[in-house]
Amino acid sequence: MAERGEGGDAPLPASIYSDEQTVWADVSPLLEAACRDLRDGELIHGENFSLFAAMSALEIMDPKMDSGIEHSGYHSIEEAIEDGAAPIPLSFDRTVDVQCTIDIMDHFLACEATWHKGHSLAQTVFSCIYLLRLDRTSPHALLHSYCRIMRATCAAVISVVSDARTHEGRVVRLCMGHYWCCMDFTTCVGLSFLNSMSLEEDLFTMAYGLPLKGEGDEKCLSMLNAVEETISRQLRACKASSSKKGILENIEPLQTNLDLEEGYCKALLCRLRFRKHFYHVLMCMKKPQGRGFELARKHIASCLSELAYIYNSLEFLGFNAYGSCQNDIEDSTTASGRQPVGFDASLNSRLAAPTPPRAIKILSWKKAIKYFEKLLHDLDTICSFSMDPLLEGILRFVVQFQKSQPDLVARAHLQRLLVQDGKLYGRDPVFDVICRAAAVSDVPKNSGIQKSEIVLQLGQLAINLLKILCTNAAWQRRKLGKILQDWSVIYVQLELASKRDFAETPNILTDVNVSMKLSKHLLIWTEEQIYWIASRFLMLGFELDLYSPTEYCMVYWYMYVVLIKLAEATQLRMGTSSDIAKRKGKKKRDLPKDLAKDSQIPPMVLLLQCYICLSEGLTMMLAALRNEHKIFQRPSAFNTEEERFIQHFELLQRAHVPGHISYMLFKESTSHAQFSTLVRYNYFKDAQRIAKELRSSFSSDSDRLVELRQIEQVAEHNWIALNVICQAGAEDPSLKISFEFSHHPCFAIATVKRS
Amino acid sequence: METKTSEEAEGASVEFEPSDIEYVSYGGEHHLPLIMRLVDQELSEPYSIFTYRYFVYLWPHLSFLAFHKGNCVGTVVCKMGEHRNTFRGYIAMLVVIKPYRGKGIATELVTRSIKVMMESGCEEVTLEAEVTNKGALALYGRLGFIRAKRLFRYYLNGVDAFRLKLLLPRPEINPALLMAANNDNSLLHDSNKPPEGSSQHY
Ligand SMILES: CC(C)(COP(=O)(O)OP(=O)(O)OC[C@H]1O[C@@H](n2cnc3c(N)ncnc32)[C@H](O)[C@@H]1OP(=O)(O)O)[C@@H](O)C(=O)NCCC(=O)NCCS
Repeated sequence: MAERGEGGDAPLPASIYSDEQTVWADVSPLLEAACRDLRDGELIHGENFSLFAAMSALEIMDPKMDSGIEHSGYHSIEEAIEDGAAPIPLSFDRTVDVQCTIDIMDHFLACEATWHKGHSLAQTVFSCIYLLRLDRTSPHALLHSYCRIMRATCAAVISVVSDARTHEGRVVRLCMGHYWCCMDFTTCVGLSFLNSMSLEEDLFTMAYGLPLKGEGDEKCLSMLNAVEETISRQLRACKASSSKKGILENIEPLQTNLDLEEGYCKALLCRLRFRKHFYHVLMCMKKPQGRGFELARKHIASCLSELAYIYNSLEFLGFNAYGSCQNDIEDSTTASGRQPVGFDASLNSRLAAPTPPRAIKILSWKKAIKYFEKLLHDLDTICSFSMDPLLEGILRFVVQFQKSQPDLVARAHLQRLLVQDGKLYGRDPVFDVICRAAAVSDVPKNSGIQKSEIVLQLGQLAINLLKILCTNAAWQRRKLGKILQDWSVIYVQLELASKRDFAETPNILTDVNVSMKLSKHLLIWTEEQIYWIASRFLMLGFELDLYSPTEYCMVYWYMYVVLIKLAEATQLRMGTSSDIAKRKGKKKRDLPKDLAKDSQIPPMVLLLQCYICLSEGLTMMLAALRNEHKIFQRPSAFNTEEERFIQHFELLQRAHVPGHISYMLFKESTSHAQFSTLVRYNYFKDAQRIAKELRSSFSSDSDRLVELRQIEQVAEHNWIALNVICQAGAEDPSLKISFEFSHHPCFAIATVKRS
Repeated sequence: METKTSEEAEGASVEFEPSDIEYVSYGGEHHLPLIMRLVDQELSEPYSIFTYRYFVYLWPHLSFLAFHKGNCVGTVVCKMGEHRNTFRGYIAMLVVIKPYRGKGIATELVTRSIKVMMESGCEEVTLEAEVTNKGALALYGRLGFIRAKRLFRYYLNGVDAFRLKLLLPRPEINPALLMAANNDNSLLHDSNKPPEGSSQHY
């Protein structure tokens, strides 16, 4: 269109022949007329031109089209630099120069934490003009070395997170025109599209167009060491001169105000050393198979102590901030409370996609320090993991690790440890791991079973499961619900295969015998995993606050059913494994009798038994409250409890976990619950008793002991509540009953109050 | 929906009878500024006029306004369509101004929309709400919505959202419910008529 009329060409013909059915026509006059007709806020809407189509044509973050864009005073980095937005040196007064450099370091830390917490790199760390034009800083060794290690650190962190990509969910709203599109709109215009582009890690690792890799970054440590060395000499010199011991070396001081020399040297040193150790942590943890963990832990400890020094520099820096007294630094991104020089978040805002360039709030410096403390502790937990070869132990570790709600960077590190090159710890083939878990003693050599389709798939499922368990709870639950389907399909296939093997081989050859045994073990193990996943799925619902108290009854009932199945499968697996242990020492034909004789219940199964009792007890107590007190029921205008049952357990039911479970069954098993029978047969007492007995079995396992204690408390409180409610009777309207999660994240305790 | 965080103590509650409130279905361009003003006031991030138009032009029968003495005091804006092989309704915006809250107006507005959705064959209704929006969560809970999933940091302020879902009973399973909903049809159709020339509203 732009060419039209240019250079006084002959006017275009009204139409140009294209082929039999089509001609090219000039629509410019039509468009021009339409433009004149359209008012502000109006939009063309046609059958094949929807609002979404119109919005797609807008270029978000293009200042011409997106009037909501946050305008920087500058059009380019160069313009900003020319205008003196990022001077080098920061000041010709060397004291001020040092002060400003420290501010930059502090603001960097805050930006980095903000990035880790889910904002784009472009709007956080790379809002620094110095970092965007790193070469400019080379005359300023201190700033240059710091910026360089910042950049190298970001690159290292990105590489872990992108290695560990599981497409962790984070749906971010689309920005449209100069307004935020409401999130509901994104649903209607295709949430799937957003889902695919705005995953947590994607946002995190997004670094289009940022100068993230630079030549010489591998030298970042030596540069930093050199600068650190200089400053520590300056510090020594200053201490020596103040103690009048005479000057050790003839060294030029860091800055001009000698009273402040020691304070500034120290403030800089801890900041530099933190960077150095943090970079080392990342490098050590990167070593395959956890080989660098021991050293990483030492660096983590150093990081933590440098962080403490950084925090303590607050007093000194705050006091010296431009003479003014310490202002409120709670929200500040620097210890001094000053604004840092050289940052402009809007300069490269066009690189921030898919988040629109709206101003984001950078975490405060204090919060950033807290964030790094937590991150380092989480990393330390990972580094001190024994790298249990047994899957059961790994699952337990991951679940325990997740309890402290680690952030993305820590979770990515765990995932990279667990799964590398499709192997456990990058070391053990999955098939071996599964055989170990399924208590398969002798894997048939060269039977080709490792390469059978089903076994390969099972391995893939196990790997996926590990990855999913490392994601955030919300995403994890959704994924667990979905993979149940795959697991149950595999289960059915395994079952068919084992039947087929049996049918096809009437004369049992040893090899076939072994492979039959293998498929039997795999079958039991698979079933156990299915119920383990289902129970985790249900429990995460509590942690995510997805159930309302009126739904607790059905959730505990379902949990009870799932846990029974889990306990059965676990017992079976452990039975078959003790069977193996014994086989090794005994003659084969003794086996059946022995098994029956000492079929002691393993502690793990008894622990599950405790949870079964708690679930059943809570189900029945809630049911009795509904039946007799008419509370915790919710009649609703548009559907019934049955619909809510279907919705909550849809994914389990679709995967037949377990089969033949229906709303009707739930109703049947709860509609007769009443307090008079509940107090006579009490599930809570059972839970308490088993938990007490189990203490000796887990005496060397402190986490398990804590778990047992929780069970006892939940049982105890509910037992008391049950009695109070029973004594008060249904007629007492002053009784206020609520459920709280004060002793366990998933098992509630009833609290009874009189109003 | 993301709601405003500032809880100004403005506007003491107003005395009125439930029967004083008049509910009307979206009646045309003259209603648009009313809806926009209300939503912009109460929801933190402004929606573009295109967003409003998208909803009210395509599904005018799913949007309702509540009037008290000619003032618009509440509104609901919705849509519906095919989503992964289910026909689902979607509640996009719901607002009642502060002095009129706690009197069942929002419940009535949403109920009207859902009834139209049911009649149109929707199998389910969904929406998102901030995990901290106690009022909205309670309101939808009472209507039968469950919290189907949690959306991690759905909002840019870092807050998670719940996806709420209402599964509507299939008619052959529970005919009684559908009948109950149909009984109110007369009411619905009355208010469904565009209030042409109803200038008394503003
Ligand atoms: C949410 C909102 C629409 C509710 O409007 P309303 O007219 O006061 O709602 P209703 O009177 O119909 O409330 C119905 C039920 O919801 C619950 N509820 C509503 N507001 C509540 C609140 N602030 N706290 C607790 N429960 C509340 C109650 O159970 C109430 O029933 P009850 O009064 O009999 O106990 C209104 O508060 C609002 O506009 N908020 C700001 C915008 C917003 O959050 N929109 C929803 C986004 S998803």
